[in-house]
Amino acid sequence: MAMALIELDHIVKTYDLGLSKVPALRDIHFSIERGEFVAIVGQSGSGKSTLMNIIGCLDVPTEGHYRLGGRDVGDLSDDELADVRNLEIGFIFQSFQLLPRASALENVELPLIYRGVSKKERRERAIQALEIVQLADRMTHRPAELSGGQRQRVAIARALVTQPSLLLADEPTGNLDSRTGEDIVQLFLELHQKGNTIILVTHEPKLAARCPRAVRIVDGLVIADGPGRAVAMANAEALGAEAVAQLLAAQQATEVQRHG
Amino acid sequence: MAEAALPLPTVRELTILRKARRFLAELRDAVVQAATSMVSHKLRATLTIAGISIGIMAVIIIFMVEAGMQSSFKKQLNTLGPNTLFVHKWKWGSGNDWWKYKNRPNVTTLDWHALAGNTRLPVAIAPIVNTNAVVAYGVKEVKNVDTRGTTDGYLDATGWTVKRGRFLSELDYELGSDVCVIGADLEDAFFKNQEPLGHELRVGSTMRCTVVGTFVRKGNAFGQSQDLRIVIPLSAFLRNFGTKRGLVIAVVAPEGKVRETEDEVVAVMRNARRLGPEQEDTFSVNRQDKLLEGFNQTMMATNITGILVGVITALVAGIGIMNILLVSVKERTREIGIRRALGARRSSILMQFLCEAVMVSLVGGFAGIALGAGAAALIDAVTPLAASVDPRVVLGGVVGSFFLGATFGLWPAMTAAFLHPIEALRYE
Repeated sequence: MAMALIELDHIVKTYDLGLSKVPALRDIHFSIERGEFVAIVGQSGSGKSTLMNIIGCLDVPTEGHYRLGGRDVGDLSDDELADVRNLEIGFIFQSFQLLPRASALENVELPLIYRGVSKKERRERAIQALEIVQLADRMTHRPAELSGGQRQRVAIARALVTQPSLLLADEPTGNLDSRTGEDIVQLFLELHQKGNTIILVTHEPKLAARCPRAVRIVDGLVIADGPGRAVAMANAEALGAEAVAQLLAAQQATEVQRHG
Repeated sequence: MAEAALPLPTVRELTILRKARRFLAELRDAVVQAATSMVSHKLRATLTIAGISIGIMAVIIIFMVEAGMQSSFKKQLNTLGPNTLFVHKWKWGSGNDWWKYKNRPNVTTLDWHALAGNTRLPVAIAPIVNTNAVVAYGVKEVKNVDTRGTTDGYLDATGWTVKRGRFLSELDYELGSDVCVIGADLEDAFFKNQEPLGHELRVGSTMRCTVVGTFVRKGNAFGQSQDLRIVIPLSAFLRNFGTKRGLVIAVVAPEGKVRETEDEVVAVMRNARRLGPEQEDTFSVNRQDKLLEGFNQTMMATNITGILVGVITALVAGIGIMNILLVSVKERTREIGIRRALGARRSSILMQFLCEAVMVSLVGGFAGIALGAGAAALIDAVTPLAASVDPRVVLGGVVGSFFLGATFGLWPAMTAAFLHPIEALRYE
């Protein structure tokens, strides 16, 4: 039987605040296959960040099972979780999360240190990754010397350099202007074409609409799961005509780029 | 759920070799990060390093001076000879109960005659009495010359050697001859490039004596020259300087028979002074090791001071390290989150910050050793103490500062390692 890359088996996450227990995720149950490009979409406070942290092995569920590549992550020690993050997951954050004192190249090399890759090989692989995101000419620059879009490309290169099973992007365009954001979206689409599995966490239906699949989360529950466009439309209809118009425009932009 | 436990090809594992390589890569990265951190916070690092280095320098100086004093003291003691007993009114090495000995009678020539006539074991016996006097030759005058009255046994009893001419003879004592043997400093002062033998010196206000010999240079002890001395016959000394000064009688025991000789000396002395069985000794038989005991007691105080200064230094420096590290952890909270997300384990983070603590501490340690060595050179040049930095002190400084950093860095490094990755990533 073919095992899904990600299996979320009735995931519950409750934050214990002492006086009260706050449910962040109530019953999340779906899977993601290898090679999929899935948007997890929801308003802030919907629980999507909590879900991302669990998928990224930065946190463990209170109840239920999360299997990554068939392995139950709930059983793992802190060190093993760190290894899983290093070996399986490439994180891309809204605020880039680059080391300010390190050059682009050193930033991209960083995850390979925790994998015991030799210095020479680290350098080679990091250069390759920076070439994929078209930043080979900015390798020695520090984050402060790069534009927002370039910083996010460095972050993407850092995620790619370990050849992870999963790219996990948290609002990757959130801190970028719309044009730069569009470039990053294109980059994700290309990476998906090359066979990478990508999960994109976002609050923007526009962005979700462009993903082949979207999962909509409200109050810690999955309320829609299907083709990105359909999920986004269903939500946009609830929001009103303007949202629909915006969505259609975004949709067209994608079509044009794909065929043109 | 049987298949869940099976390692699927997608789950990649780290081999032992990879883990070893990972450790080395992490260590290297930690060292580079620590160095970068120090360079990018120069002022902060410099202040902490200054604190550590000054402390370590202080400790080094204290132990160095102590070692210097101890070695010069021992050196001087060795000139007294390990087999030599000193019959004296005072008990050596006793500072606190001097009043017990104050009222004892002086040791006199009578005691010396008794010992010389009635003991069998001693190899040599020499009475010694001394004072400070002005010695003059022509118009030249030297003050504070150690002037000693003694007899022909002196050389055997003290280990001094004659360079030129002769020492005092038994006859010189019998006749009370006005002759003298002078130390190297006195020779230099009066007879630079000149024949000293046969010239007449004035000692004190009344005495005139002819130089019959010179001593081989002995060097310093306790920062004082031992060569500024003049030795004259005991009889001549007593005639010129009076008989009220007490003697010290040096008795050289044969090798391995110090105990027996001491017993014999005590018996003869008690008999000479007509002491009954229930009466206490009215004299003391001293040995150089007794002097060392007294000296060591004094040194204990210095030792304790050194240790105390060391402990306080370690505490102050350690708090400095802890402080700098806590600031560093706070500043780099997000970095910790990033590293954790990218696969750093707690131990990686711990190592990173321990590395920084140890590096700061080691740099401080090396600086302190360098300062200490500089201070040693200065003390050596300016004061009469022979000061040098013991390699053991250097090793101790390095090892000590390493552990200082590791100890005081541990807690901040632990707080860093146990930060939750998500919270660390969110930290602003």
